Amino acid sequence: MNEAGEAIRFDHVTKRFGNMAAVADLDISIRQGEFFSLLGPSGCGKTTTLRMVAGFEQPSEGSIFLEGEPVERVPPYHRNVNTVFQSYALFEHLDVTANVAFGLKRRKVDSGEIRERVKEALELVQLTGRERSKPRELSGGQKQRVALARALVNRPAVLLLDEPLGALDLKLRKQMQVELKGIQREVGITFLYVTHDQEEALAMSDRIAVMDRGEVRQCGTPEEVYERPEGPFVAGFIGISNLLPATVENGGVKLPAGQRFPAPVPSECSDGSDVYLSVRPEKIWLDEREDGMVSVDGTIVERVYVGTTTQVIVELSPGVRLVALEQNAARQRSDDRWEIGQRVTLGWHPEHALVLR
Amino acid sequence: MSAVRAPAAEPPVQAAPAPSKPPKPFDRPRFLPIFTGAFFVFMFAPIVIVALFSFNSSKSLQRFEGFSLEWYRRFFEDESLRESLVASIQIATVTMLAATALGTMLAFALVRARSRWAGSANILMLVPLVTPEIVAAVSALVLFTQIGWQLSLETVMVAHITFSISYVTVVVRARLAALNPEVEQAALDLGATRWGTLRLVTLPELWPAIVAAALLTFALSFDDFVLSFFTTGESPQPLPVRIYSAIRFGVTPTINAIGTMMLTVSALLILLAIMLPRLLGRRESGLGVLVGRETA
Repeated sequence: MNEAGEAIRFDHVTKRFGNMAAVADLDISIRQGEFFSLLGPSGCGKTTTLRMVAGFEQPSEGSIFLEGEPVERVPPYHRNVNTVFQSYALFEHLDVTANVAFGLKRRKVDSGEIRERVKEALELVQLTGRERSKPRELSGGQKQRVALARALVNRPAVLLLDEPLGALDLKLRKQMQVELKGIQREVGITFLYVTHDQEEALAMSDRIAVMDRGEVRQCGTPEEVYERPEGPFVAGFIGISNLLPATVENGGVKLPAGQRFPAPVPSECSDGSDVYLSVRPEKIWLDEREDGMVSVDGTIVERVYVGTTTQVIVELSPGVRLVALEQNAARQRSDDRWEIGQRVTLGWHPEHALVLR
Repeated sequence: MSAVRAPAAEPPVQAAPAPSKPPKPFDRPRFLPIFTGAFFVFMFAPIVIVALFSFNSSKSLQRFEGFSLEWYRRFFEDESLRESLVASIQIATVTMLAATALGTMLAFALVRARSRWAGSANILMLVPLVTPEIVAAVSALVLFTQIGWQLSLETVMVAHITFSISYVTVVVRARLAALNPEVEQAALDLGATRWGTLRLVTLPELWPAIVAAALLTFALSFDDFVLSFFTTGESPQPLPVRIYSAIRFGVTPTINAIGTMMLTVSALLILLAIMLPRLLGRRESGLGVLVGRETA
């Protein structure tokens, strides 16, 4: 039953709370050593999924396999997984060492080995020197590291992370993303990572499952979900959404205001069917053209300077807007060039547009 | 009407208000410190006087004539008073242990049980706190007489325990409700069984509240009069009841000595409530829990 190298398999797992399906027919398999993210807005079922793996919730239907073994009847304290909680959930009455050693002590590992492994784990998360501190004396980032060490020291088959960076400020979060990815590569443990931050998921994951209202909308590598989103939800949730309602016409699309241009219409979309046209902001050119580009005229309605780039929001017709990203490279400052109210021509290569149903 | 209009006034330049008095910052009323001072004087002056006169060498309650430990000696020589003191300590100790255990369990049930009766139970639990003690005392007396339980120290203990459970529950429940459920899940996740989680994580997290509740019930039971009076047997009687029967024959300085000792014991208990969690390496004190401060 078990494929070689499979860490977790969800076999048609459904979880209902009352009449509401928090997770519906989840059917994915996670490889050993993979950094796998569950990404979605709050209430999409990602945390419930994680809690079912940890053993805090039972599936209503279907089964979960951990390293090939079904885990329905296994209580949380006998599962070979550990969790890094969103609130860190450190034991306030114990110091850092005792927090990290907690799991090993429960497993009756001998004290010499415990000391050795706790030391290693604290080195791994760069907390050497804080062994005797109580959690209340630590900063948010340090608490996060203790929570990570406390879970990793047990060398679980799978590490479950529930929005572990959610409570940190932006700069620390970025730094921890890089560190966490490095740690995962170093220890080689399978990470099942829950987040609502699409950038975080894209930056860290080997594969991402994008969830919405209990269902997986797409499961694939970061490139796949970003470049080839399957459906308007994924396209809208990941990256800046440029979704225009459109109609299929003669193998191309027509916008509500009448503009027509070629687009890669999937074969199952017949003429006249309603679709969404999606173009990533960084693929849109402003007042510049290359051969084979489609072009649309519009008016600049807003300009948002965000440091390395400027978002230029262009209205094609009343209510129909596209965002274009301009690099603020050394040779130009785009806010010198783009004025609100200015007429511009937008262009993109047809293959960079997506037609989504 | 053809009133000639005044030339359009200049757009009214808001004249800066005359720099008369700077806005007065909110002052604390002066009489508040006086009030507070008066409160402490009224509260503590009689106690200080009782303590002072317990060391008086004469029997007078008006004039202090010299230092002596005469009244303390008399107290310890009086066998029935000594027995009463021991009885009160026994009652308070048993009440503290039993009510703390039961009240803590009740707090768990009220916070954790997902029952549709939980709401009603939460309110019912508060009833003993607002019931006039005399009603509770008479009910207990009627109950014990009806079932034929000879009034004795045990009946006092049972009445005290029943009465004290609610206090424990109120204190422990607040702490338990504030406990992050993920902390207990983390213990389960790290391989602790349910029993292990309770022992290693939940109870240690509740410890300051439990200590506070225990000391509170000890103090409540130790100086309780009404319940004790109605539910005690002939002999030995709890100390407050014994004192009451003694002063019916006139106030002697021995009473002052007893009062001073009870005060000292209570003060020591409060000190213990502050110190104990610190001695155990915790920054919170049991007292902090009682007065609503999380960290002392």
